[in-house]
Amino acid sequence: MKNMYVAMLALILANMLFFCPAASIDSEKTLNAASMWDIPDVDPILRGDAWAEKTLVTETLVTSNQDYELLPQLATTWRQLDDKTWEFKLRDDVFFHDNSKLTADDVKFTLERGAELDAAIAGYLQLDRIDVIDSNTIRILTKNPNAMLPASLHSPSLGVISRNSVDKDGKFIKPIGTGPFKFESFDAQTHVLTVSKNDNWWGGDIAIDRIITTPMTDPNARASAIEKGDVDFTVDIPYNEVERIDSIDSLSAKIFDTPYLYRLDLNTGHEPLNNIDIRHALSYAVNRDDIVEYVLFGVGSPSSVPFSSSMPWANNSVRHYDYDIETAKELLADAGWIDTDGDGTLDKEGKPLELSLLTYPTRPGLVPVAEALVGEFKEIGIKADLEVLEWGAITDKRKDGDWDMVLFATNCALIPDPQYYLQRSYGTGGSYNYVSYSNPDVDELLTESMETEDLQTRYNLLKEVQSITQEDSINIIVAHYGIAVAAKDSVKGFEFDPTAHDYKLNPEMDIEE
Amino acid sequence: MLRYLLKRSAFMVVTVLAVCAMTFGLMNIIPGGTAELILKHTFLELEEIPTDEQIAEISSRYNLHDPLYIQFSRWMGNALHGDLGTSYILKRPVTYLILLRLPATMMLALAAMSIAVLIGVPLGVLCALKENKLADYILRIATLIGVSMPGFWLALLLILVFSVTLKLFPVAGYGNISYLVLPAVALSAHTTAITLRMVRTGMLEVMNQPYIVFAMSKGLPTRYIVTKHAMRNALLPVITVLGLHLGHMLGGAVVIETIFAWPGVGSLLVNSIMARDVPVVQGCVLTIVGVFVIINLLVDLLYTYIDPRIKYV
Repeated sequence: MKNMYVAMLALILANMLFFCPAASIDSEKTLNAASMWDIPDVDPILRGDAWAEKTLVTETLVTSNQDYELLPQLATTWRQLDDKTWEFKLRDDVFFHDNSKLTADDVKFTLERGAELDAAIAGYLQLDRIDVIDSNTIRILTKNPNAMLPASLHSPSLGVISRNSVDKDGKFIKPIGTGPFKFESFDAQTHVLTVSKNDNWWGGDIAIDRIITTPMTDPNARASAIEKGDVDFTVDIPYNEVERIDSIDSLSAKIFDTPYLYRLDLNTGHEPLNNIDIRHALSYAVNRDDIVEYVLFGVGSPSSVPFSSSMPWANNSVRHYDYDIETAKELLADAGWIDTDGDGTLDKEGKPLELSLLTYPTRPGLVPVAEALVGEFKEIGIKADLEVLEWGAITDKRKDGDWDMVLFATNCALIPDPQYYLQRSYGTGGSYNYVSYSNPDVDELLTESMETEDLQTRYNLLKEVQSITQEDSINIIVAHYGIAVAAKDSVKGFEFDPTAHDYKLNPEMDIEE
Repeated sequence: MLRYLLKRSAFMVVTVLAVCAMTFGLMNIIPGGTAELILKHTFLELEEIPTDEQIAEISSRYNLHDPLYIQFSRWMGNALHGDLGTSYILKRPVTYLILLRLPATMMLALAAMSIAVLIGVPLGVLCALKENKLADYILRIATLIGVSMPGFWLALLLILVFSVTLKLFPVAGYGNISYLVLPAVALSAHTTAITLRMVRTGMLEVMNQPYIVFAMSKGLPTRYIVTKHAMRNALLPVITVLGLHLGHMLGGAVVIETIFAWPGVGSLLVNSIMARDVPVVQGCVLTIVGVFVIINLLVDLLYTYIDPRIKYV
């Protein structure tokens, strides 16, 4: 027995020697990033953002800036030939990582592959066919008039890859892109992805030599990893840890607003939520400032409108619902809801005002925000019964019409065009239109915008949509979702891109010792 | 003995089959349609509503329109030929995905089990020999904490102390042996505590048996009595429990695997359940149940070695 312990001790000591911290001997600049999502495999169809945003291996035709304006990237210019045809001119100084030249055929290959394998992409593009005019020009023909086509091409799943990325049988080998970093290795077991500097990038020279992305799906593990120094860069650390991590000397943690929304959908097909005054009362009862400050620890920003005022298409003169408990109570009283039996819950014709509130635990802010909402609705005499379910179960209840309120998160500018959010949320049959809302005025404006080429005219049409839907209040916006980016102070030059999925690195980044 | 083995093997096959059939049924009962969830996890945003055409397309692509028993027998037939199918989400063979994950799971489970045995058994004996002395009290309190403390919390505490503060081990990841230490300790805590308690109880019981008193009065050294006479008898129930725990570690270390970003079968299983990736779920369950019943058989066979009075007919 004694010998066994001696052997164990020896083993432990041997280990200690074995894993003395791996000091980087060379002067290579390596960025170790911990990613919040698992990258399951190398095909960009599975997680396009892993390649176009987290590692900059692929680039899209169109990109955008922090003001949500579309900018050329691999495409230089684009114009509409008729309402169903778009023409894109490509840069002619771009080479793939295998040194072949970027051609219109590769772009055609990428877009067609995306539309074939990804239902969401197919929906954005509405592709009829793609014509290659010459090696630098393609024409995209759509089934329906599609004014948001250029914005759709900003989707990371459409990061352009060479036709050599797949073998003769169409089987995916590895992503060969055009970006500042090229694919180096992917560990199939641990899903650690390594990319290295592309010396021939068309955009010029970059400072970082290598990016190693390790998936860490647990937020606490990411916070510990950045605190200990195992990684240089990570995002979405627990909300209550942001301030502490930021106060550590060599680290910084910054909060950015994303276009994600905390949204509470109201079932307008149900009594009493079919009454617009009740919906307004609920919206007035939400103390958005307190929710962001105390429930979300400041990660996010309070808002009763979907689009933030900095978005160029935002209609900033729509009705806002600032916290006003008196107005809320008045609206309810006017609708005939009075607490006759003195139990704290309003009632009408013997029926108490009780509503179900559903949410799911996948995103960390949802359950605490839902709990806060229950408390706030109680203030105005509405009893909300919170049920935390898996998203699948909520979908089933939604189909059966068996719900009053659902709190969830949704992105309002995943594609930097207001049509994306408004069509899906308020258009008849839209994929985020949970309440089967159908307003002919809204549908007409949405269709007209889809057929209009001039951006400003479209924005004006869609601003009108915003004022109608904001008045109709089929959902209550609670806050804009925030994200915390934590990095070592040695990591310089990171700029937050609000149109990215969580975050996008930028080629200007550097590591200074 | 041979008859016993044949009988047991038959039962094992039935067990595995039943579990697979139940998993298959449950996967289809839980809320959220299979086609819809596959769509959400591959093509759409999580909260987006898929269109009817998208659902129809996915359903026909993966034959989800067929009645459940046809889907199941098709899977079973292929599985008997060694083909566990292809993942809906990752488009890779299920066998490949499981074989990638299995070594990591095995390594973690065996490391945790070794810790539990190497610490739990000797300390349990110590507790029994020093019954109601200071060492016994301290260890009993420690085991109480070990049993009650949730694994994820212990894991975070270990990271905080040994990784962030003392900088001895990496926070999370998979690689050389330094990555193994914290997850193995976190995973073993519960089992270690239970082992210690059971060994203590067993030893106390055995130490009062007449044959031990006889051995003592013969003047045999305590050490000899403990290892040759007492422990063999006290360990029988412990081995049963350890067998069960090893089974759990192989399949249910999901929380620990997530916190430490450990690429094991458990996290593959949970991710696949979330995405309704039925072939992967079936494959994982088959693997876990298979390993579980084999361990159980080995434990039973181990009995005959430890206690020659036990005979299987």
